[in-house]
Amino acid sequence: MKRWKGFGVAALGAALLLAIPGAALAQTKGGNVVIGIVQAPPSLDAHVTTAQAARNITLQIYETLYARDKNAKPVPELAEGVKISEDGKTYAFAIRQGVKFHNGKELAANDVVASIERYRKVGASAALLNAIDTVQATGPREVTITLKDVQSTFLDNLSSPRAPIAIYPAEEAAKPANQINYIGTGPFRFVEYKPDSHVKIERFDGYVPNPNAEGRDGLAGKKEVYLDSVTFRFMPEAGSRNAALEAGEVQLLETVDGPTAKRLQNDKNYVVYKVLPFAFQVIKFNHAQPPTSDVNFRLAVQAALDMEEVMAISYPDIYQMDGAWLYPGAAFYTTDNTGKYNEADLSAAKALLAKSGYKGEKLTFIVDNLRANTDTATVVQQRLKEIGIDVELSVADWPTVSKIGFTPTGWNFWAHGYGIEPYEGPASVMAPWVGGTSQQKKDETIDRLYADLTASMEEGKRKQIFADFQKHMYDNAVAMKAGNYGLFQVASAKLKNFEPSRIPRMWDVWLEQN
Amino acid sequence: MARFLTKRLAGAFIVLVLVSLMSFAIIWLVPGDPTAAFLDTSATPEQVARLRHELGLDQPLIIQMLDWYGRILHGDLGQSILLKRSVTAALLERLPVTLSLTSVALTLALLIGVSAGIVAAVNHNRWPDQVVMTAALFGLSVPDFWLGIMLILLLAVQFDVFPTGGYVPLGEDPLGWLESIVMPAITLAVIQVGFIARMTRASMLEVLSQDFIRTADAKGLTRTDIMLRHGLPNALVPVLTVAGIVAGSLLGGAVIIEQVFSIPGVGRLIIGGILSRDYPVIQGGLLFLAVIYLGVNLAVDILYAAIDPRVRLE
Repeated sequence: MKRWKGFGVAALGAALLLAIPGAALAQTKGGNVVIGIVQAPPSLDAHVTTAQAARNITLQIYETLYARDKNAKPVPELAEGVKISEDGKTYAFAIRQGVKFHNGKELAANDVVASIERYRKVGASAALLNAIDTVQATGPREVTITLKDVQSTFLDNLSSPRAPIAIYPAEEAAKPANQINYIGTGPFRFVEYKPDSHVKIERFDGYVPNPNAEGRDGLAGKKEVYLDSVTFRFMPEAGSRNAALEAGEVQLLETVDGPTAKRLQNDKNYVVYKVLPFAFQVIKFNHAQPPTSDVNFRLAVQAALDMEEVMAISYPDIYQMDGAWLYPGAAFYTTDNTGKYNEADLSAAKALLAKSGYKGEKLTFIVDNLRANTDTATVVQQRLKEIGIDVELSVADWPTVSKIGFTPTGWNFWAHGYGIEPYEGPASVMAPWVGGTSQQKKDETIDRLYADLTASMEEGKRKQIFADFQKHMYDNAVAMKAGNYGLFQVASAKLKNFEPSRIPRMWDVWLEQN
Repeated sequence: MARFLTKRLAGAFIVLVLVSLMSFAIIWLVPGDPTAAFLDTSATPEQVARLRHELGLDQPLIIQMLDWYGRILHGDLGQSILLKRSVTAALLERLPVTLSLTSVALTLALLIGVSAGIVAAVNHNRWPDQVVMTAALFGLSVPDFWLGIMLILLLAVQFDVFPTGGYVPLGEDPLGWLESIVMPAITLAVIQVGFIARMTRASMLEVLSQDFIRTADAKGLTRTDIMLRHGLPNALVPVLTVAGIVAGSLLGGAVIIEQVFSIPGVGRLIIGGILSRDYPVIQGGLLFLAVIYLGVNLAVDILYAAIDPRVRLE
């Protein structure tokens, strides 16, 4: 009898659900979510750090004039839009009306001016704004920026999430780096930062969602907050993070290893999400050091490598084979000129190697101690052995490796990920190779292509320039892309409407209460 | 006693000078620099150079060293590069956390270790002795990070008795503090329990074979009286020295335990400093721990001399 009673209640519930459209996805207001994150943010002053751990939090608190949509295209966020002069050097931004800071003050043009001026002085990626000549408030809600030269990527730069050009109240923007009160216009407001423990943010009830947007759209869009608060708990040890999720203390893990994701994916209490692509796996050559300075040697290595083998071992279950130097779906994405990707042709490699000046000397592959990177280096080492190239691995922690890798001696190969650059767009993908920064020798073709790309406002022409860059990368084996890799995120099944993304967005999600 | 104290203080001063020198040497001994923590791989050489200049890393080493000594003589451990605040303040803020973890662990280690050692010595070569010694060996051999994870899985995930990690300050919620500190303190104490149990056992066995114990026995004292009034106080003298060493090891062990249990203590601050090459944090943190370690050992030395006149005479 009891069973039938239960059935009756369930049937009534089902009937009600059918009667009210959308009720099955009814949003519930309230609830506190805890996210287990690996590292503490170096700062919550969004301007001063490029750390992923920081932007994952700061992009919930602050907003930018323009932000990236789901395809990483810049779209208005705090701006209504922009008028660009015919010569491409003047940008007049209309500021959205009625936007409130967390201290209750209404956003005005002088806040935008002060924030941009501050970023030019203390910004961790101040070079993003190098093209600016002047920034002026030309009305209570209008900001006009003039550029020294045309820069086609200016809106891309302004909306970059790398070290976000967050808009602060003018009085905060007047303060030096790391000395601000954390006040923004975002859907969450800052509550507390306990060093080495957690950051807590809560719903900002005075938040005005962008009326010009529709629904969740990348880092822009119409943001609705249902949760009362979100706590980012710093948990460096993977085992402890997983245990906290399983004990119900944490509702979301920003990253879990493959075996844990596999174990949890059949458990109905959790949902495993894939953020793919999250980054490129790249193997760089030192062009300042023989024999990697020799184009035939580099082409031989490029021809020899089996990139599927590299990716399958380094990132099991979470990789994509893709030779393009942008993420699929990006506006300039093309697979043109990627024919030399993943050839895995040992005989062609041997022929190219014979043309090079390589004499069998031992070469150095520097790599940090991140498991996937050392796996990549090991696979490359074993593969190159088959064509007679002797490679020695030199493993150290990231600060050590990155110090060596930006000098012209002490290394031949270096493998690591590129995540934010391809997300930002073509100019950011090209930038690391400009002036020979990453390959330690100037490459005039890349420098010229980069200058042309940033100076041209014509989209068709810029697309062609990027395709030419891609061709140059493969024809000269400037560096090698092994593939795209992703990361697993795991959430409690009670966290509803969560969509994986490279920055976990806590708006438009709610917690099922029971 | 004054001469003894002067000698000990002079020794501690020399150790401190050596530790401060070694702390400073980290700048040129360890490759890499803090710019890697601030800038990503797209940073231009100009950006790196500008940041190095801002951080004072382009100064000659000798200038940096004079600056370092000038500051520590004024009690200033410098500014953290990453936290943008005083290292002393950052350390003092985390000190109560590490001290509460290590003091609970030390109390547990001494209570369990000494009791287990006595049980083993009294039951020499019988089964309780063997059980205690096997358990002590297990305690000494098991890696603390592994034990920590196992305890989390068992007591937090399976039985939901304790939280998986984190820290609740004592002043905020005493019960919450106790819940947050028990598992990490047990994990930290386990190795030391084994160490103390073995030391107490050996020391007890030595004392129990002395003539005065035989005399006490001949006088007809009860077995409990002999153990607690004559045996234990004498056996505990070497254990006191061990307690000093244990306190130091616990401070070192806390670095790992704080990582495993996500506890915001001094150890995590130093680990963060090492990973980001935040030199003032590493240097200040090491010096700070060395001062605590020396302080504990000095206290033990003085206590030792106070209860054992032979030490003073030597």
